[in-house]
Amino acid sequence: MTTYTRQPADPVAEDASFRHPALFCATQDDYLSGVGAFVRTQAAHGRPLLVAVPGERLPLLQDVLGREDADITWVDMRQAGRNPGRILSMLLDFADRHAGRHPAIVGEPIWVGRTPAETREATRHEALINLAFAGRTATVLCPYDTALPEPVLAQAHRTHPVVGDGGGYRPSPDYAGPEQVCRECDAPLPEPAAPLVLDFDEGGLADVRAAAGNWADAAALPPRRRTDWLLAVNEATGNSVRHGGGRGTLRLWRTAGTLVAEVRDRGRLTDPLVGRRRPDPLSPAGGRGVWMMHQLCDLVEVRTPPSGLVVRLHLAVE
Amino acid sequence: MRGATASVDGAAASTRHVAVEYSSDAEWAGHLAEFVRAGLAAGEQVRYFADATDPGLVTRTLTRSGVDAASALRGGQLVVITADETYLTGSRFDPDAMIGLWREAVDGAAAQGFQGLRAIGEMSWGARDLAGAERLLEYELRIHHEVFEQLPLTAWCFYDRRLLAPDELAVLARAHLTRSGAAVRDGEPGLAVAPLAGPPGFRLSGSAGYESRRVTASAAAALAASPAEHLTLDLSALDHLDVAALADLARAVRRRPYDTPVRLLNAPPALHRMLELFPELGDGFQEVSR
Repeated sequence: MTTYTRQPADPVAEDASFRHPALFCATQDDYLSGVGAFVRTQAAHGRPLLVAVPGERLPLLQDVLGREDADITWVDMRQAGRNPGRILSMLLDFADRHAGRHPAIVGEPIWVGRTPAETREATRHEALINLAFAGRTATVLCPYDTALPEPVLAQAHRTHPVVGDGGGYRPSPDYAGPEQVCRECDAPLPEPAAPLVLDFDEGGLADVRAAAGNWADAAALPPRRRTDWLLAVNEATGNSVRHGGGRGTLRLWRTAGTLVAEVRDRGRLTDPLVGRRRPDPLSPAGGRGVWMMHQLCDLVEVRTPPSGLVVRLHLAVE
Repeated sequence: MRGATASVDGAAASTRHVAVEYSSDAEWAGHLAEFVRAGLAAGEQVRYFADATDPGLVTRTLTRSGVDAASALRGGQLVVITADETYLTGSRFDPDAMIGLWREAVDGAAAQGFQGLRAIGEMSWGARDLAGAERLLEYELRIHHEVFEQLPLTAWCFYDRRLLAPDELAVLARAHLTRSGAAVRDGEPGLAVAPLAGPPGFRLSGSAGYESRRVTASAAAALAASPAEHLTLDLSALDHLDVAALADLARAVRRRPYDTPVRLLNAPPALHRMLELFPELGDGFQEVSR
């Protein structure tokens, strides 16, 4: 058991508007002590808290901190953040609802067992937090299990301006801006073997939906997931027609346990925060598609090669 | 005056608003003669609103078919005129104005002592670059409840397959509860919308996506404009709809003058899922299942 001679310093300086520290934890006690100290400090300041961590951590923290505090919202990140691309929307929504009260968040987007692709997108999410929360009054503490692979931990030093452990918090000398980290996350996507390829334009959108539906049926997707799949593919292909030059190419394939749909078109994506904030669904201007894809899919990968835009949607079959 | 305030049940009204599709002059002439002959025999006034056809050809064709068109014209029982001279004279086609014109026309026929009014309208103007032509589908959807269930009127909408794109024609024809003409196609793909024969409302069938956004917009416009307080949107035959379509309908519901929610019948799974993501899109709807 690790015994602390002193509690980590409050990672929230009095004059800071937004703080985004990473907390590295080697043991469960480290975790409970470090996260627990953060939560208690924030609660003592009367700040509303969102604790979004892997589900198995929740009862441990609740045992330490109590379950009845009405100002703490508990969320299983394995579910809510299964797709890393939808976490930021949840955090922003919480911050919006508690604007003016200095909302505090514990967000643990990366855990042992995340796939490399998920981890890459979760790292992108961590970088984008700095962009999305710039100028806001809020604190987002991100615990990292030191059992994670070393490159993942190294990225955490790049995505968090402040890092901490049992010894306290300090500025991260390796911190890199969100644009740079996102560029590094744009790793080339692996080529599938023998995908089904469908070129489409506006007149072919209904056929694309039908093909995607057949694909889902062949994979025996449960009804609810079939609906998710169809809605997501529909939004991606519709965006190609609407924003991506009027046409696109849909590729469908299956990996172990996952259905993948990839849409390529000549569109551009200049705002890295697209789809990471809940849109107004009644807006005549649209803007719902990418956000919906993130909500509906287990992983969304977006790449912007010189040829245009690539969106890959992953849905677990199980 | 009689008839103008009569109310007719929806089922009967559905047979009096008919989409007639044809592909040749001979087919056109056959439909024309059948319709006019029946109307004249019943003592009804018959009005033909020409668009692509010369009015003189209409009367000559009737005469060749054995209809005493000349006599009917002289007696005012037959009126052959162009759409441009009548309901397309304004700056743009306006469904609301058009519905008012039907009311006046039915009253006029009754005032002249006719047993009722029947009309043929060539709908080829819907494919022309005409202001307001994009509202034709909205109009076709609305008039079942707003005209045919209210007035003693029989109308055949003449759709010339040579003048309208197949997809556009299919959508417009399917907005009628009765269709006539050779080789009416079944199983036409895409999104279709039609009025309900029973309670006021509309039925969407097929699949609604970006490609069918104009159809959805027309359905939404008809929904918003409906004077019926109690309205049903039957989605039993709708396989899929996207969020833009749902948002269109949700905005339309908000434009209605009533607080009474629109009944959603048998909504597809996609709608339920989208309401989980965007609960506010369900405001103004009441879901029911049959």
